[in-house]
Amino acid sequence: MIPALHNLQFLQPKLLPLAMVDHHHADPVAFPIAHAIEAMSWAGWILWLPMISLVLCGACAALRIRNKLPAIITVLSLAGSFFVTLLLYLNYHEPVTIHLFEWFNIAVGDGNSFVAAFSLYVDKLTLLWMLFVTGLSCLIALYASEYMEADLKSGYARFFAGVSVFVFAMSSLVMGDNLLMLYLGWEGVGFASYWLIGYYYQKPSAVAAAKKAFIVNRIGDLGLALGLYLTWHHFGTIQYTEIFAAIQHGVDAEHGETGGWYIKYIPFMLMLGAFGKSAQLPLYVWLPDAMEGPTPVSALIHAATMVTAGVYLLCRMYPLLEALHPLALPTVAWIGGLTALLAATIGMAQFDIKRIMAYSTVSQLGYMFLGVGVMTTYGGAYHVFTHAFFKAVLFLTCGAIMHGFAGQLDLRKVSGLTKMPGWRIVSWTMFYACLCLVGFPYISSGFYSKDMIMAQAFISHGPGFTALGVIALVTALMTAYYTFRVWFRVCLGPVQYEMGDEHHGDDEHGDDHHGHDKPHAPRWAINTTLLIITLGAIASIVLYYTHWGQDMVAGSSAGGGVPSAHHGETHGFWDDPHTWMPWVASITTVVGIIIAWFFHLAKREAADQLKAILLANPIIRWLPTAMENKWYVDELYHAVIRAPLWIGGHILYWLDMNLLDFAIVDGIAHLPRWLGRAFRPLHNGILQSYAVSMAGGIGLVALLVLFMPRILQWLGGGG
Amino acid sequence: MLAALLIILPLLGGLLVLIAPPQRAKHVTLAVSSVVFVYSVVLAFIFGPHWGTDEFALTGAVTWLDGIGITISLGADSVSLLLVLLTTLLMPLCIWGSFTAITDRLREYYGWMMLLQAAMTGVFLARDLIFFYICFEFTLVPMYFLIALYGGSNRARACVKFFIYTFTGSMITLAGLLYIAWRYAEIAGFWSFDIAQLTSFAVDGLNNYPGLSQYEQAWILLALMAGFAVKVPLFPLHTWLPLAHTEAPTAGSVILAAVLLKLGTYGLYRFVLPMVPLAVVEYAPLIAVIAIIGVLYAALICWVQRDVKKLIAYSSVSHLGFCVLGLFALNPLGVQGSVMYMLNHGLSTGALFFLVGMIYERYHTRDMTQMSGLARRMPVWAFFMVFFVLSSVGLPGLNGFISEFLCLIGAFTASGDAGAYPGVLGPWYAAIAALGMVVAAMYLLIMVGKVVFGPLKEPAVHHSTGEQSHLPADLTLREIGVLVPLAVLCVYIGFQPRTFTGAMEGSIEGVLAEYPATVRQQQILQQADLPHFDNAGLVLTMPESTDIGEVNHDG
Repeated sequence: MIPALHNLQFLQPKLLPLAMVDHHHADPVAFPIAHAIEAMSWAGWILWLPMISLVLCGACAALRIRNKLPAIITVLSLAGSFFVTLLLYLNYHEPVTIHLFEWFNIAVGDGNSFVAAFSLYVDKLTLLWMLFVTGLSCLIALYASEYMEADLKSGYARFFAGVSVFVFAMSSLVMGDNLLMLYLGWEGVGFASYWLIGYYYQKPSAVAAAKKAFIVNRIGDLGLALGLYLTWHHFGTIQYTEIFAAIQHGVDAEHGETGGWYIKYIPFMLMLGAFGKSAQLPLYVWLPDAMEGPTPVSALIHAATMVTAGVYLLCRMYPLLEALHPLALPTVAWIGGLTALLAATIGMAQFDIKRIMAYSTVSQLGYMFLGVGVMTTYGGAYHVFTHAFFKAVLFLTCGAIMHGFAGQLDLRKVSGLTKMPGWRIVSWTMFYACLCLVGFPYISSGFYSKDMIMAQAFISHGPGFTALGVIALVTALMTAYYTFRVWFRVCLGPVQYEMGDEHHGDDEHGDDHHGHDKPHAPRWAINTTLLIITLGAIASIVLYYTHWGQDMVAGSSAGGGVPSAHHGETHGFWDDPHTWMPWVASITTVVGIIIAWFFHLAKREAADQLKAILLANPIIRWLPTAMENKWYVDELYHAVIRAPLWIGGHILYWLDMNLLDFAIVDGIAHLPRWLGRAFRPLHNGILQSYAVSMAGGIGLVALLVLFMPRILQWLGGGG
Repeated sequence: MLAALLIILPLLGGLLVLIAPPQRAKHVTLAVSSVVFVYSVVLAFIFGPHWGTDEFALTGAVTWLDGIGITISLGADSVSLLLVLLTTLLMPLCIWGSFTAITDRLREYYGWMMLLQAAMTGVFLARDLIFFYICFEFTLVPMYFLIALYGGSNRARACVKFFIYTFTGSMITLAGLLYIAWRYAEIAGFWSFDIAQLTSFAVDGLNNYPGLSQYEQAWILLALMAGFAVKVPLFPLHTWLPLAHTEAPTAGSVILAAVLLKLGTYGLYRFVLPMVPLAVVEYAPLIAVIAIIGVLYAALICWVQRDVKKLIAYSSVSHLGFCVLGLFALNPLGVQGSVMYMLNHGLSTGALFFLVGMIYERYHTRDMTQMSGLARRMPVWAFFMVFFVLSSVGLPGLNGFISEFLCLIGAFTASGDAGAYPGVLGPWYAAIAALGMVVAAMYLLIMVGKVVFGPLKEPAVHHSTGEQSHLPADLTLREIGVLVPLAVLCVYIGFQPRTFTGAMEGSIEGVLAEYPATVRQQQILQQADLPHFDNAGLVLTMPESTDIGEVNHDG
């Protein structure tokens, strides 16, 4: 047996609560809970540095500074954040909470208070997330300093201010020690996303995409807010330490400390928030449109970091998901699996390489949810980590192509990139990232993380988990196909290209330093960033073999989802999914790559022929069409949700104007006048006539009210 | 009489304007209102030890009509003082913001503004029922003239409707309040209009009289709601508001939204909650349902507006639904949220009206279909517009979030097993109201997407006079100066709400003081086999005999 397989052996099914739903009591998940410490408040600089950067970038914008100062400020402060995070990691001994300042503290009676402070909850899960969030943010800001340079005259400072806001919000999301601070970060990253997707604010499609992202996220946020209220209602606290203590103490659905049937819905409400932020069914529709933002934003926010917030939430709240409802985790698994499949089918039929990457992000996020759902938080979190690197590379290479070819993103219109001068780093880092995305055996990080999730689907017992495992394998095949479809089309084949029609930025007077006819290769900032992040992707394989990732998850609140290291007895090859999964997955992947190679490199016209054949057949014609049109989900939502509300708004407005205001209110106001006219015509002007007649009416009403109790008492015979 | 100066100074300012040359009127009023603001801040420091308690300070009284116990009696607790501070802060900003917008009848305009300030401050400071009522009604007169003389094309209809509608409502409120005073005179043998005395009389009674019965309280609640609900405004009594807002001059709209609407919620807070607790507990679910309907109804209407100002006016209706919902959650979280809402709505919606006014001054239109992409022409304006829209949407880290969150969590937790406070609402109330959060994001961002972003399209200036605006394309320093204090406060409240929530904790506990007792009483009633819902709200338990009239009635 090959060594890697041996290394996979420790992943073994653990006795999990779902296997014993009939017991009603989930075993208290044992993991160390943080305790408050006075020291280490310097960790707050992880948050303050981006905040300072925001203020300074704002000042640059106000002072009309037209050079790269905002980029320098941002890169330096994000680097600072990263180093503080690193220091925190090196000084880490045990989970702690670090108090920064007081935020909410409201007495609610009975001597209790509603407390939500600006405090940091530092355990290994926090550190895992913060290390890649701050590290990648810093690198991508460096990349953007070159990428955005055409906008030096217009939105440069605005862009970097947005990046700073994002890092601040993301840090408070991940580091907060209570659900409200998480909520602050949650909406904060949504806002940063709105800001940056709508960066090209004169482009209607960008404005629409920004709006859509914010609104769809708001629906998810609604769920998160309700989950927060429920948590407060039932646990009397929203601080993680106290919630975890209560869970370990044995609060479950049947024996809640405060009782009540609502407690079961906490996991589902939190989940809704996670589905919104991490673009899962049914709220994934905003993410593909978010590609309207500048590419560094897509790489940072919409691929590597922000969209993993949902996975973070589920990992952080894993003990609740496990304890409060037996169907909570299976729901996560099914939503994740179905999203992965759906997004992959759409991704296969798109032509815009950035959109393909967007759908692949949705699909990979689906894998992460699947991982958490089938109870391997380790698999989920580790996939988040590996995905952050390789997906960042993929987006940044797409961005480099877009930057060099004046906005060209159609994979049919750029070909043979490897053979063009100056594009070698871009095409080969892209190649490696593609390998990672498809999970190419052994040399790619995605292989390890994805295998862990898929194998666990066959191991854990839950409703339809085996079917989910099959879905995950089918999705892996599709992933291999659509990923290498892009790479074979764009990077190999004959050299030919067609420039896009876009200047960088939105300034029609901008002096683009390259013409419209020739591509220009990326320079040092872009190339360096690509190389460093690719190295990070390679390094994350090493982290697997050293069990670093496992260690990072095991000591945290998500520790319940890390399978124990003991291996049960296995009899044959097919008995342990961890034994056969690497082989099956590898074969699937290679088959997918070969199909892509055949249709998109060896015989490109065959792809068109295939499509023509499919379209010619009236029975299956709908399939490619529906895939290309994203299964008409946007149209469906528009028809089912938006249109009725909009029409409802018009109807209500009409009723408000005509029925309520004109007929009823004005009608009543005119009543006394009509009555008065019947007795004695009033001719002395509008206001007075209104006033006199109204006063009469009012007097009557007042008398009635004044004596009503008396009258009624009298009527009721003094009772 | 430290507090009295807050009313006297604006009145003197009003007199000063009448004798000043018209061109100096704005400077005089700006100076006077700034002095008043500084003075109110000084008072806030003098108030010092009373922050966080339910005590009234800065009190003083002058006998007015001794025979029937009417005095001019002033005093402030922390909530009143915060609302006074909101008023005194906004007034100089409104006056400063009107410098270029108002070009004729200057003396009257600024004179009315000063009178308005005196009346509004009087409402918040009054400790005597009659004085409260006089100030409450007197706010209508300056506002009437501000709309009638300086308003838009449909101002005649707007100001008459505004006046009559709110006047009618508050007459009924007066009747309700007078009823309490009358009962007091009956029992005590002499008249008094002291609010504290009447409140304690209504609840605890006097000389063997056990206080108002639940039955009386219900009628008084109805009467009080008639006036305050119109002022708030609560659906379906809101139709005067969009009209008045749209037609009022900018400063008028700002004051209307920021302070005048708060007179209604302040009335609910000061009179309804402490005076008629039994009725409030009984009818809180009904009022909350009306508030929630208002939230969603107005939010959907906002969505289809073309006039930016009307959109913001309807959004006030929607937002104040949250405020009322929080108030009738009858627990500290909800009421904290509600009072915070009064302040925050004043800041952010006030600022939004300023911003719309700035556009109107430049282009003489507010039609969203006629303009787009103004960020290109006016980046500074766009920054503030987006900022205050986000504050209004309730983005955490800004002020709006604090209040919206507290109102909703208050309503959410006010369910059957809520502990000391009456659990009259519950998760469903909050969950449905929270949909308003989503719709608010929709209509405000759609508005921003149309007006601020997108390809640049400027409306052709076609004012009746044909004049091109003499203002520069983007905001002037004066206009920025008007907005910056509001923006700073928005951020400050967003990160340090404790300054405010801590300050008003005591006052809120005082207002809610009766409710734990009410809960106990209700529990006794429940044990006495009255119909009630069990904790899950699923099963209605019917008793053998139901006679509500028997319970808690002196006979």
